[in-house]
Amino acid sequence: MDFELNEDQQAITEAIDRLLAQHAGAARAIELNREGRYDEHLHEALAAAGFSTIATDLASDHSSDLSRDKGLAGLEAALIVEAIARAGGVVASAAQMLVAPAVSAAAIAGPIALCTMDNLAKPVPLRFGAHASTLLVLGYGDVHVIPLGSDDMEAVRSSFGYPMGRLRSAERSHELLSRGDTLGPQAALAMTRWWRLSLAVEAVGTMDAALQHTVDYLKQRRQFGRAIGSFQPIQHRLALCAIQVEASRWLAREAAYHGAQDEAVAAAAAFALNAADQVFTETHQMSGAIGFTCEFNLHVWSMRLLALRQELEGVGGARRALVRARWGGGG
Amino acid sequence: MNTAFSKDELAFQDEVREFLGDYRELDGFYCQGHKWPEVRAMFRAMAEKNWLALSWPKAFGGMALGPVYEFILWNEVAYARAARNPLAAGIVAQTLIRYGSSAQQRDWLPRIRSGEIHFSLCYSEPEAGSDLAALRLRADKNAAGTHYVLNGQKCWQSYAQDMDYLWVLARSGTQESRGRGISLFICDKHAAGVTVSPLPTLDGDQLNEVFFDAVEVPLAQRVGEENGAWPMIGEALADERHIQFPPGRVRRDLEDMVAWLNANGLGADPVVRQRLAELTVQVMETEMLALKVLEAMVKGVNATVDAAMNKISHTLACQDIARAVLDFGGPEALVSGARPELLWRQTITETIGGGTSEIMRSVVSRQLLGLGG
Repeated sequence: MDFELNEDQQAITEAIDRLLAQHAGAARAIELNREGRYDEHLHEALAAAGFSTIATDLASDHSSDLSRDKGLAGLEAALIVEAIARAGGVVASAAQMLVAPAVSAAAIAGPIALCTMDNLAKPVPLRFGAHASTLLVLGYGDVHVIPLGSDDMEAVRSSFGYPMGRLRSAERSHELLSRGDTLGPQAALAMTRWWRLSLAVEAVGTMDAALQHTVDYLKQRRQFGRAIGSFQPIQHRLALCAIQVEASRWLAREAAYHGAQDEAVAAAAAFALNAADQVFTETHQMSGAIGFTCEFNLHVWSMRLLALRQELEGVGGARRALVRARWGGGG
Repeated sequence: MNTAFSKDELAFQDEVREFLGDYRELDGFYCQGHKWPEVRAMFRAMAEKNWLALSWPKAFGGMALGPVYEFILWNEVAYARAARNPLAAGIVAQTLIRYGSSAQQRDWLPRIRSGEIHFSLCYSEPEAGSDLAALRLRADKNAAGTHYVLNGQKCWQSYAQDMDYLWVLARSGTQESRGRGISLFICDKHAAGVTVSPLPTLDGDQLNEVFFDAVEVPLAQRVGEENGAWPMIGEALADERHIQFPPGRVRRDLEDMVAWLNANGLGADPVVRQRLAELTVQVMETEMLALKVLEAMVKGVNATVDAAMNKISHTLACQDIARAVLDFGGPEALVSGARPELLWRQTITETIGGGTSEIMRSVVSRQLLGLGG
C-alpha cells in the first residue's frame, strides 16, 4: 500500500502547477467569467504542453508503468484535472482528459461539453456548452459524438463559475443526433463512469482551493484580539472540512487508479459532491461578510461546487449508482 | 396560551394586505439596491397611513400601537417580498425618542415619520465586525469646540449608496476603553469628506465601504452622552428584534419553491415531497420562534435569547429551502435571474448579516444554558 505519488506522477503535478501558475488563477477566472468566456489561451497551452492527451499518451507507452488496464492513465489525468480545478481554470479539462479518452480511442475535438439525452430533449444549461466544438451525449445505451456548429448553442448567463450554454431549441436535437457518430454500450458505460468520476475529481480540486483560501484568511483576520482561526470552534469546523476534502481526494484518486469501476466511482462522487455542499456553506460562513463580496475570491471556487452538484443527477444520481453497483437492481 | 391575533390585529393585517396589493411586483426584499426609488415611494405611502410610526409614542406623532402591529406590518411586507423594514423608523427613531434632545426629536423625527429621510447604519469596520467594541473610527472635537471631526473607515454598510444620512458609531474615548469610549452621531451622507464606495456582492447587489476624511459633524448631531453609545445601541437592537427576521419571508420562500418545483414537473417526486415536508416543519418552527420573540416584546421582558434562537432558525430555514430547490432543480436552476439561483446567492449572507450565527449561538449558550465564556 502506498499513497505517495510515484516520481512520474510527481513530475506531472509539478509541471501542471507550473503551467497553471503562469496561465490560470482566480483573477483570470473572474475576468473570463464576467463575460462568460472560455479560456482559449489556457486550452491551447495545455494542448501544447501535451496535457490534453496525457491519459492516452501515457497508456500507449508500454515501457511505462503508468499504463492501465483500460488503456487510460486515469490517475495521471485525474491529477491534472484536479490541479486545473484548484487553479480555477476556465477550460473543459475533465471532459477532454478523463471522459473523451475513455469513450473513444479516436481523438475528439475540444472543447467538449457533456450532456445526457434528457438534457437534450429538454435543453438545459451545460458547462462550456456555448464554446464546445463537440457535444458528447450520453444516450440510453449509446454515446453520440456530435460536432457542433457555431449556431447550435446559445450562451446562458450564470453566476456559478463556468461559461454555460444550451441547445437553441429541443427541435434541433433530432438533427444533431443524426449528425454525429454513435458509439455502442461500452462507450455509454465508460462515459457514465468517467463523467461521474470527473465530477468528483473537479470537486476535490475546487474544494481544496476554497478551503485553503478560507484558512489563509482566517489566519490573518483578527477579532476579539485574536486571529479568528485560533478560536477552537472554528478550528474544529475547519478540521471537519479538511477531512471531507482529503477523503474525497483519495476516494476519487483510488477510483481513477483502478480504471473507474462502478462502485468506486459512485462512492467517490457521492462523497465528494455531498462534501461540496458542506465546504461551500462552511467556507462562506467562516469568511463572514467579506466572503459575500465579489472582491474576495472565494466565489471563484465555491459557486462552482454548486454547478458540479447539478450534473448527472448530482449526489442523488451517484447514490443510486452506488446502490445499483453493490446490490444490483434498477432505479 | 393563545398565539392568535386579536380581532383588531387581524383587521389591521387585512388592511396591510390590501395596501400591499399595489406592490405585488415590487420585489425589493432581496436586492433593495436595484429598487430603491420604488421602495422609497412605498415607504412614503406607508407614512401617509402613519405606519412608519406604529409603535412611537403619541407625543412624537406615533400611533402607540405596540409590537404586534409592527410585527404584522413587516411580516406581511416580507411575505409580499416588497422591502425590508427601514432602519430610520426603527433603530434611529427609537434611539432619538429615548435619548435624543428635544431639539433632535423636533428636527429629525417628523422627517423620519413622513418617510422623507432614510439612514444607513455605520457600525462595522474592517477590523471590527463581530467584535464591534474594537471599532477605531475617530471622533474628536475641533479646536474651537464647535464640531466633531470624524476620521476613519466603515465597512459592510447595507444600502449606504441610497440613504440620506449615516448613523455612525465612532471612537471618542481611548482605544482601550472599548465599549465605554464610543459615541453616536448623525452624519449627512453628502457632507464634505464622506465617500461611499461599493463592494459588489454575490447576490448582484452591493455592500459599501464608507470613508470619513476629516468630516465635520455639528455637536448637535451627537446623540446621547459622549462615550455613552454602547448601551444605547444595545437597546435599539432590542427594539427591532420582533421585526428583523420576519417568518413571512421564509413562508414565501417555501411557497415559491413549491411553485417552481411544480412548474418544472418535480412536485410529484416522492423524494422531493419528503424534503418538502421536512422544510414545511422547519418553516413552522421558525414561525413559532418568531412569535415567541414577539410575546417577549409584548410583555416587555428580555428577548435576547428568543431573538438569537429565532435568527438561527430563520436563517437556516432560508438556506435549507434554497439548497433544496437547487438540489432538485438541476442545471436549469443555475440560470441567472431564475428564482432558485437568486435565492441561493442571496441566502448566503443571511447567517452572517445582523449578527452571525456564531454570535447567536454564543448568546444561547451563555444566556440560556448558563455556560459562561
